[in-house]
Order: sequence, then structure tokens, then C-alpha cells
Amino acid sequence: MRFLRLFALVVSASFASPPPARAEEANSLSFVNDVAPILTKAGCNSGACHAKAGSGQNGFRLSLFGFEPQEDFEHIVKEGRGRRIFPAAPERSLLLLKATNATPHGGGKKIDTGSDSYKIVARWIAQGMVYSPGDAPSIASLEVAPARGTLAMKAQQQLKVTARYSDGSTRDVTRLALFEANDKNMAEASETGLVKISDIPGNVAVMIRYQGMVSTYNASIPLGAPVENLPKSRNFVDDLVFGNLKRLGIPPSEVCDDSTFLRRASIDIAGHPPTFEETRAFLADASPNKREALVESLLSSPGYADYFANKWAALLRNKRLDKGTPASFAFHSWLRDGLLANRPYDTMVRELLAATGAAVSNPPVAWYNQVKTPEQQLEDVAQLFMGVRMNCAQCHHHPFERWSQQDYYGLSAFFSQIGRRPTAIAGQSVIFHKRGVAVAENKKTKASVKPAGLGSPSFEIPPDDDPRLVLADWMSAKTNPFFAKSLVNRYWKHFFNRGLVEPEDDIRDTNPPSNPELLDALSKHFTESNFDLKAVVRVLANSAAYQLAAAPNSYNAADRQNFSHYYPKRLNAEVLLDAVDQLTGASTDFADLPAGTRAIALPDNSYNKSSYFLSVFGRPEGDSVCECERIQSSNLSQSLHLMNAAEVKTKLSKTEGRAARLAKATDDSGNLHELYNAALCRAPKEPELQTALAYLAKPRTDAQGKALDPALARKAAYEDLLWAVINTKEFLFNH
Amino acid sequence: MLRPNLTAALLGAALLLPSGPAGAQLVILPAPRLLTMMPMGAQAGATLEVTIVGENIDEDPQLVFSSSKITAQPKMDAAGAVVKNQFVLKVAGDAPAGLVEARLMTRLGISSARCFTVGTLPEITRQKPNTSLETALPLASNSVCNAFTTSKSVDFYSFTASKGQRLLMDCATTGIDSRLTPVLIVTDAQGRDLLAERRTGFIDFNAPTDGKYFLKVHGLTYQGGQEHFYRLALTEIQKDKPVTRQASTLGVGSASLPTVDPTLTPWINEIEPNNSAAQAQKITLPCAIRGAFATAGDVDTYEFEAKKGEVWWVETVSSRLGLPTDPFVLVQKVTKSPKGETLTDVAELNDITSPVKLSSNGYAYDGVPYDVGSPDALGKFEVKEDGVYRLQIRDLFGGTRSDAGNIYQLLLRKASPDFSLVAWAMHMELRNGDRANLSKPIALRGGATMAFDVVALRKDGFDGDIELGVDNLPPGVTTTGLRIPAGKSQGTLLVTAAENAPRGVSIARVFGRAKINGTDTQRNCPTASMAWPVKDHTNEVPAPRLIADVPVSVGGSELAPLTITAGDQPVWEAAAGSKLKIPLKLLWRGDFSGGPVKLKPLGADFAALPAFDVPSKAASSELVIDLAVLKTQTGDYVLALHGGVVSKYSYNPGAVKTVEVQQQEADKKAAEAAAELQKLVDSVKTVPAEKAAETEAAAKAAAERMKAAEAAKTEAAKRMKTVTDTAAPKDIVDIVVSEAIHIRVKPAEAK
Repeated sequence: MRFLRLFALVVSASFASPPPARAEEANSLSFVNDVAPILTKAGCNSGACHAKAGSGQNGFRLSLFGFEPQEDFEHIVKEGRGRRIFPAAPERSLLLLKATNATPHGGGKKIDTGSDSYKIVARWIAQGMVYSPGDAPSIASLEVAPARGTLAMKAQQQLKVTARYSDGSTRDVTRLALFEANDKNMAEASETGLVKISDIPGNVAVMIRYQGMVSTYNASIPLGAPVENLPKSRNFVDDLVFGNLKRLGIPPSEVCDDSTFLRRASIDIAGHPPTFEETRAFLADASPNKREALVESLLSSPGYADYFANKWAALLRNKRLDKGTPASFAFHSWLRDGLLANRPYDTMVRELLAATGAAVSNPPVAWYNQVKTPEQQLEDVAQLFMGVRMNCAQCHHHPFERWSQQDYYGLSAFFSQIGRRPTAIAGQSVIFHKRGVAVAENKKTKASVKPAGLGSPSFEIPPDDDPRLVLADWMSAKTNPFFAKSLVNRYWKHFFNRGLVEPEDDIRDTNPPSNPELLDALSKHFTESNFDLKAVVRVLANSAAYQLAAAPNSYNAADRQNFSHYYPKRLNAEVLLDAVDQLTGASTDFADLPAGTRAIALPDNSYNKSSYFLSVFGRPEGDSVCECERIQSSNLSQSLHLMNAAEVKTKLSKTEGRAARLAKATDDSGNLHELYNAALCRAPKEPELQTALAYLAKPRTDAQGKALDPALARKAAYEDLLWAVINTKEFLFNH
Repeated sequence: MLRPNLTAALLGAALLLPSGPAGAQLVILPAPRLLTMMPMGAQAGATLEVTIVGENIDEDPQLVFSSSKITAQPKMDAAGAVVKNQFVLKVAGDAPAGLVEARLMTRLGISSARCFTVGTLPEITRQKPNTSLETALPLASNSVCNAFTTSKSVDFYSFTASKGQRLLMDCATTGIDSRLTPVLIVTDAQGRDLLAERRTGFIDFNAPTDGKYFLKVHGLTYQGGQEHFYRLALTEIQKDKPVTRQASTLGVGSASLPTVDPTLTPWINEIEPNNSAAQAQKITLPCAIRGAFATAGDVDTYEFEAKKGEVWWVETVSSRLGLPTDPFVLVQKVTKSPKGETLTDVAELNDITSPVKLSSNGYAYDGVPYDVGSPDALGKFEVKEDGVYRLQIRDLFGGTRSDAGNIYQLLLRKASPDFSLVAWAMHMELRNGDRANLSKPIALRGGATMAFDVVALRKDGFDGDIELGVDNLPPGVTTTGLRIPAGKSQGTLLVTAAENAPRGVSIARVFGRAKINGTDTQRNCPTASMAWPVKDHTNEVPAPRLIADVPVSVGGSELAPLTITAGDQPVWEAAAGSKLKIPLKLLWRGDFSGGPVKLKPLGADFAALPAFDVPSKAASSELVIDLAVLKTQTGDYVLALHGGVVSKYSYNPGAVKTVEVQQQEADKKAAEAAAELQKLVDSVKTVPAEKAAETEAAAKAAAERMKAAEAAKTEAAKRMKTVTDTAAPKDIVDIVVSEAIHIRVKPAEAK
């Protein structure tokens, strides 16, 4: 009886006059526009809870961040015979009971009883759970006000988020939007959209998400210090870097001295510190453009080709597959020869993408023997050559970006016509284009997807044409927004130790560059040079911005983003091993390679196994397309290895090595001069000289206490001095 | 067991026994192999010395060539003794340029082959190491250098060029049986890399300035050693002349190269541009087109008219010329309408697949080890309606490659049924984990039968029987061919040496005969072999190639471990549907290990015959053929049985006796020398003063002689140990094939 009365109430309620209309309420609440955002804000549909891959949480499954409202509606309203909602008494709906923790809920209390969110959900249930009324508009865009601003340190800014709908109406959705700053050290955004700035100057962005749309708030936090005495601008890079610093009020450090520049540029461009002779010549050279001349000579040295081939080989997964297969050597050589000949970047990418044949006769094919499925291929290509991480979009709309599954499969379609045939060598296939129409299947909708570049219309590719060539053409078109940008950002990070977009392969609207004009200018410069890689290195290395000292001044120590001073970085594993060899006059023997081969010239990852030095200093295995696989952090094992390893001792004590040779020469002062110049590109300072001379003069005894033969003692002393220098930060770091 | 009439003095070991992984059983009885020759080429008209390295070749083999224009004599030292492994070659002035097979005739028979190039340019052999800039070997223009790389090293050559001069640097390696994958790098005078080539072994160099340049040669993975030899040719060439490379061997797939009479077929040249439909080159069929995949992604389009009912065959010749291409042919019908044109697919022609199952997983021998197919296309298309048709040809490997040297011939013809054949010594997995791919020269032991797989590539719908045969065999050697029946692609050849066959060698001719369109046609059958004896194919990639000729030899020094014959009758008759029992006679020589020998049939006609075991050392057995189960039709057949047998094999025990005699001689001489010295030493004390100096001098001389004699004694002892060790019996498993068994199936008896 009571039930019937309740039912009558509901029926009569639906015939009653509608409640007074407010700006946010339509006659009928829509699941899509009104309820789904509440679930997203409350965190119900996060990847950790009910949007968990598989079957959600405890039998209740929602789509990630509400990207599939149709599915969510079915699960909430229809699943389990509608046990989750109770229109006759909405407040008794399981949905609300759980959300308010009135019934035991693993997620705890997500909304308060009586809150606006609660009332909207309850009314929606009472109205009969409409998915989307016929005339309900769909969301068209998301705006944030203000969109950008200059804030003082410790300041606050409340953001207002407005959703614009297809019928022109707007709604303030600040309460329900999600906020996240891209650098939590610089700013924090609260749940209600209040942005709190901390005390680091620079540029920070807050990403705002609502109902599948994203928007960004860009804040500039000036230091406000006086910026006078800027170094002389040498090219457009300086104009834009210093322009940014002036705007932010962060005075840059001075330009570094010749010793510092010599060592820094040699390591960054050619992968090895300069020799003693090169140091002496450079420091003695008085010509005004010697720094530019140095950059040119480094670019034409084989070290440049070796060092950058080493960088790209790891990213292109050049792993040793098997004994007896020279594919990894051939691939590395293809990279190195191409860099030496300065072949245009787009040509090399084209040859890689559209590679056909067998690996030894066409080395880029080796990439396809490592990256075997279309999913792996498109993810690698997107991250490496476009700076876009597509991995998430395989299964659902990318949470932080505008890419959908449709975009994902549109890219994968380019790789759908790759034919493989086995060869006599295990694990090596012959690659060719299989005749057929390039198409992929969207795993979600089961619909077929034609090949399409990101954000571009799809292509109709005839069955005889290799779709990978079409992709290569699209990527290297001068108007492509990703190709050039991702390369210059990557190379910027190589030289400046932090990308303009950071991480360097995560370019997205919600992760804006710290200096957008600079990034655009560099991309344009690269494209107009016809993708000349040496031109990129030239413009970066010749800029005054690259040549700033590492020592901060009294203002810019906190700046980690705007390049007001040089950010030091530890030498790479290969560079460090070569530097130790070069300093001590020793060499490392590598299997299958001629004596004297440098570590930066190693063709593949297999040498990590045989060289503890390389693996402990983080040389990557080539398992990932991310440069972060190379471990640049410091740890105790590294220190111990440099201090104690037999390998290092053997190098120090090599007969006819540097220690032995210096010990034979009697001019200690001159010897120390050579030692410091060879190791650190500078002369020893007076206190350093005195300490070292005193050390050399000390008498030495052996383990039994007998006085050591003077010749042996001298050699041991020089070995010790070399050892000490090798273990200094100044040697281990590029600064 | 040695033949008593052997004339060669057997001095003992200069040999290598095939050694499998330690502890594992050895496979394949020793066969002689020529491994390297340095130099591996010469200018026509030259006289030169070569050094060889071989396997199982013993002392003083003869060096023989497949061309009579080259003769070789063993090198003699000043004392008139033979210098081991060195020969003096004379190349006739009119020897044609190209490749020639070099082999050794040894105690065991004829060895495997090595390429020898007869060239037109003067040649040098690298003598001193040239592994640094300072020790670079100067290379004169228009000359060839023979050398081999050193492991983990680079070979340096220097040359001078003038600005604008065009020089070709061609490094022949895999094409002449070398294991080297070469890298060529041209550097400037300071040794800085200018140009690197790692794929083709060939650089077409235009000198940017006058001056000195260096050329670096090394292996792709810095491999080195005598087996990584190369011939480096430096030639000057005019600007627009086409490039010709040094001669090279052909892969197994090239056996199916068509013989196209240039006078009969109309030849057309490709006319670019012809990439798009609008630019299609108009042709009439039949014709033969010469074209090239010159630019990256090149598509060549040809248009022609055809009538309903026509059947046209298409064959591409490109990859089989040794080029790194993979031609793909697409034939479409063009229907023009006011709106544009519609294309309907008619045929897609891809690779020539192997007509028989290939060995999987590398060389597991669950199929044949050599691929008779190739990336070239061969197929037909049927014209269903009158109209205009378009044919597109492209290189599937050429999407990003521009090379004017990647030429093709496109043959369009009416059906011209034909076949090509390739033969090779049968391979079989002989034990668990057998990963050997050894070359198998036809060096027969007395009483042995060797089986050869013969694979036919049928063309243009030819489907008849193919009879196999061999001509010009040495005395004592007979052959039986097991035919390739209609519809099948594999047959067998048996080559048998009688137990008392004398030592000898001759160049045989293998052929196949069939009736094509009523005409008897005979086709030559080349053989394929491994360029290198690969002991473990998981570590090295086997390199098969076609061999120019087929020498068949009998060593005359050893007998086969097991001979299986079928009773006394020449032909075994039985009625269809009955059980045919054939007594088998087995002659076992020597000692054996392992259990019974499992015998299986050879030949398509009796493939379903079940295997059966023969106990070790059994003198006889019985082959039972149930014609009812096999459903064999009336007719004449040939059958053979094969299996694996493990014999206790002793390598060259005769050498032991000979060296023993020598050792005794040496011991005697040493003892005599010692005695003489002692006598002189004693006499020094007793002799008068004026004779003292003379005697002392004599004593010194005697001491020297004794030292030499002692050295010779140690040498002889060492040699004795070596021959004894190598002659120690070892278990070796090898294939045993019965002699041919001829069977006649008569009509079933009337009941």
C-alpha cells in the first residue's frame, strides 16, 4: 500500500509544474551534462577505483574519467536489474548511499548528504534518470578565466571555469572541474580552483579538465629582480631566452670562461673532453671567433657522429638479438654514417619508417625486427618523432590530451600493411609492403579506421602505395606541428639539460613549453634549414644562453626552468669511461671491435653486460623509446666503483699511461699543469698546485714499512693524483 | 684399409678432422675440402704462387681447375722437395675472364670447390700487415689486391686521385666464397672519414680534390682471419660509363634463370616516366622488356590490349641476376567510362616459391636445405574479356632506395612449358642436435652409394615425368636416376662406386629428360653446395651457391663402412597387390657403434614404405613391400633405402705406419750422430797437438749435425703423435644409401 502511494507520488510529481528554472537547471537533468561530471569530480571513475581496467571495482564499472557516458549510464541505471537506483525514493538509491558512505563503501564518503552534488543526483533519479533529453546541448569547449596571468610569489588566484555548449549556453563548472599544476614545486591548485604560487620564479601551467575537455591556465611568476647587463645576444635564441628572463625579472649569470666552454662544448657535441693539446691550443688562441670555430670543428669530427648515433641507437632500440647476426652493427653504422654525412633528418626518418628488405642490406629494417606490432610501431614513432605519448589512448580517450582512440587507431592504420617473411637468420625478417588497403580496427567501436595523422583528416591510400611513405610525407611537411618541434626540443634538452617542454617527449596542450616563442622559432629554423641537424647544434651551441656559467648569481639560484644559468649534468656512462681512458692513457677492450674503440662508438646494448662501468653509470639497454631509460642519477655503487674498482686501478697504473709518463718527467710543476689541463681544461690553482707538490714530495713506504724505490713512489703518487681528480665533481660533471 | 698400389708417399697429418662440440658424436665421414687459396685470382697470362688451406687433404694433393687454361704444379724448394700447401700456377694468356672452380685431388678424392677469378688487371697479394695509416699499402689505379682481414682490425690502403677523377672501388667477398661482409671507407689524407659503404662492398668515388686518399677495409663486425678474404679492385672509369662489378657466384635460385633467345623475342627498353596510369608505356604482347627500378618507390606501368581466352605468362628476371631486389607484378583490367577509369585486379605475382617443402628452423632437415625458388616472379594471368590491360612492376625492397643498377627483365609470353633442375648431396639429420651444414664433394669410397636430391622448377604449366641421368662418370662408378613423376617436383639420383673402383676423377654431366609438347628435351642440372662447412648453423649462417661443374671421383684409398645391395637379381618382379620380399645383403667393414640401422625409403614412388631396423653387423635382411597397402600400379620402378650408421672410423691409419718408419730412421740417425760426436770428442783428447784444431772443428760440426738430428727426431716424434691421434678410431655417424633396387610390378594374377 505504501509502495503504491509512493508510486503515485512519483507519477504525480512528474506531472507537476516544473521547479523554478535556474541558469544551471534544464527542465530535465541530463546524465551526460549534469551527473557524469559529478562522478568525475568525486573521483568515482578514476583509474584506481571504478574505472579500473577489467571489471571496475567490486562489480561496478565506470569508464575512465567518464569518457564513455553511454556505458556509464547503462551500468548505473540498467545493470543488475536497476539495483543501483530507486526512483521512488531517490535518497535510498544505492548510488547515493554508497557515495555518502551511508552504506559501507570501500571508497569512503565521496559527497556530502545535502550538498549540491547530492541534490542534483537525487533529482535526476527522481526525474526518471534521463540520459540526455532530446534538446539537451552537448559541451563544445571549456574556458578558464583568467587564461593567463602574472602572479607574485606566494600569491593566489581563483580560477573560474566556464563550459560552453553547442546551443550557445554557458555554465560555470568551477565547482566540478579538476585542476592540476604541471610543476607541483611551483604551484598548487586546490579542488575549488584556487591556485597557490610558491616561491620559485618561472612559468607554470594549471591543467583544467571537465567532461572530456581540457583547458590551461598559464601563470608567469616573475622574480622581479633588476635585469641590466645582459650578455650580448648572438642569435635569435638569445633574443628569446633573454627576453623571457627580462619579463620574469631573472638576471642571468655571466658568460662562462674559455676553459668551461671548451670542455662543455666538446662533451656535448663530440662526446669527449678535449685532449691536453687541444686545450692548450684553444686557450692560447686569441682570435675573436674561436668559439664558433670550435663548434665547427667539433661538428666535423667523427666524435659528433659517434656520440649522436649512440643517442639515437638506444632510442631506436638497437639491441643485439643473436650471435652471428650483424644487424645491430649495420643499423648503428647507418645512423653514424648518416650523421657524419649530415643527411637531412626527414630523409633518415623516411628511410626508417618505410624500410623494406633485409637488415644487412637495408639497415633501417632492423628497427622493424625489434618493434614488431603496429601498436608498438605507432607508439614509438609518436613519442620519438612527434613528442606525443599515445600509449594511453589505445584503450580510452587520452586523459590529459585531445587524442582519442580514433586518433590512436588512425595512426596504427599506417602500419597495417607491413609484410614479413622469415630469413635464414632466426629473429630476422624481410620487410615489405603487403598490397592492400591500409585500415585498422578501432578496438572500442569495432569500426574500421582509415590512416590519419594526428589532428589531420584521414587519407585514402590506394592498395599499391606503402602507407608508411604517406605517414613520412605527412610528418615531414613544413606545416606539421609536431615533427620539427619535437626534434628541436629534444636537442635543446641535450644541450641545456631541461627541455623547453619537459619531459622532452610529452608535448601536449596541457604541458606547455616554458618559452613558447622560442620553441616555435627553433622549429621554424629547423624546418627552413631543410631539417639540417648540424644547423640545430650550431644555433644552440653558438648562443650566449648556452654559454652562461653554471654558478648562479644572488638571484637566479632557484630558477630551474628559464635557463638563467647553466644546469650542470653528470657525464654519461660512455663519455665518462672514455674520459677516464683519455686522462689515464688507457683504453677499454670491447669484444668484436678494434682496439682503441671509444665507448661512445659502441654499436649496441650488449656491451652493458661485459662492462660493469657502463651499466653502473646507467647506460640504457635500448628497451625504451624514452631518454629517461638512461639513468643519470648518482648512487653509491658509482662512487665505490670509481674509488675502488680494479678496473680503474688498472687504468691508472698502465705502463706508458699518463701517470707513468708524468712520473718519468722531472718537472713536477709542468706535469701538474698538464694533468689539470687534461682533466679539467684549466691550470691548477695555486693552493691545488701546492697541495699536489707537497704530496709528490712525501716519502712513501711499502706495506712492510720499507722505503719505496723513488721511481715507483713517483709513479704511485701520480696515480693517486689522477685518482683524486677523477673522483672530483668537477671531473664527473659537465658544468 | 689401404690400397696396396697407392703411389703417393703418405707422410702424415696436414689435416683437420671435423670436430663437433666436445662430447657429441661426430657427423659425416671426412671429406676433402679446399678452404682458402691466397691469392684467389690472377691476371690472364700470369705465373704466380698460391698458398692453400684445406681440410682432410693430407700431404701433396693436386690442385686442379675447372678450366684447362690454368695449370698448377706443387712448389719445390731449393733442395727439390715439395713445399707443403704451395703451388705454382700458370694462367694462359687467352684464359677468359671470369670465375673458375679450384679443387684439390686428394687421397680421399676430389675436394669441394673454391672460386678463382681470372681477371684482366695486374694483381698483388698483400704481404705485410697494413692495419694502420702509417703502414697503408699503396694501391695503383687499375689493379687488384688479394688479402684477408684481421680480427678486430682495419686494413688500410692508400691511393692518389686528381680532382674530378672517377674511381671504382670494388671489394669482392661473398660472391667469391668469402665469409667477409665488407665495409669500405674512403678517408682524406689525415684519415678522417669521407664516405662509408657497408651494404654493397662497392664505392663509386668522385675525387673532390687532387691528393692522397686512404681506403679502409674491414668486416662489418670486424671479423677477420684467412676465411675472410677479399679481392679489392681499384679501377678508373669515364664519367658516364656504366659500372661493372667483379664476377661473382650465383645463388641456388638462379638455376631457374630462363634461357631467352635474344633473336626470337622482341626486346623493348623501358621508357620513363611511366609511373602513373596516364604515362603507361604502350606495348604489344609477347615481348621482353629491359627496365630498372632506378628511383625510390619506382613503379613501371605498361599497357596493352588482350583478347578473351588468351593466357599470358609473366616472368621477371632481376633477383636471380644477384641483385637485392624483390619484383612484384600486378595486372589489372582497365575499364574506361565517362567518369574516369575503373581498375579490376586480374593477377598479383609475387615470389617463385620453393616447389618442395623447405627445411624449417634454419636447417632442421624436415625439408630440403636449399631454396630453388627466388624473389623473382613467375606466373600467368588469364584474359577473361577483350580489353585494355595494365601491368605494374615494382621492387618491394625499393621504397626508399635509388640505384640505377637494379635492373630487371620482364618477359611476357605465351605458355612455353619448360623445367629447370638443381641437384645437391642429400642431407639428413644424423643425431639429436645435429646442426652441421657441411659441403659434400663427390669423393666416393669404394662400395659407397651417394644420394642426391634433385628438385625441378616446372614452368608455364609443364607437368610431365622427368627422367634423371648422369654422363661421363669415372670407371667403376654407375648411376641410377629415380625419376621425378608428373605433378611432383623432387627426385633422387644415386651414384655408386664399386668396391674395386680404381682411383680416378672425371667431370660428369647431370641432366634431366622430359617430353615437352611431344619433343624430347634435355636440360642440364647444376649442383648446389655450401660454400663453407658450417659446423653449427646457430652460430654461422650457411652460404649455399651453385657450382659450375660436377666432378665425380673415387679416392681409391678407403672403402665405405657399409654397402647394402638387393640380392642377385637385376630386376625384382611381383604382381600388383602382392607382397614383394627382397633379400638384402649387407657388407659391414670395420667396427661399429650404436644400435640397429633404421632404413627408410628414397623416392616418391615408395614414400609410404614403413621404416625397418637392421641389427648392427647383420649380414642380411629382408625388405618387404606390401604392394596392396602402397597401391602401386603396374610399371617399372627404382627404389633405394637410406639410414644413418655409426662406424668406428680411423683416419689415414696408413700414415701411422709410414711415419713410424720415418721416426725409426730419425732415431737411428740421431743415435749415429751422437755416437760420432762422442767419438770425435774422445779423440780430441788423444789426438796429437797439430791435429787438435782440425778435430775440434770436426767435433763442432758433428755437434751441429747432432743438434739437427735431435731436432728431426723430436719432429718425427711429434708427427707420430699427431698421426696416431688422428688415426685413433672415432665414432662418426654418416648417411648410408643402398644401391638401386629395380622393381617391376606386373598386372595382378587372374583369379
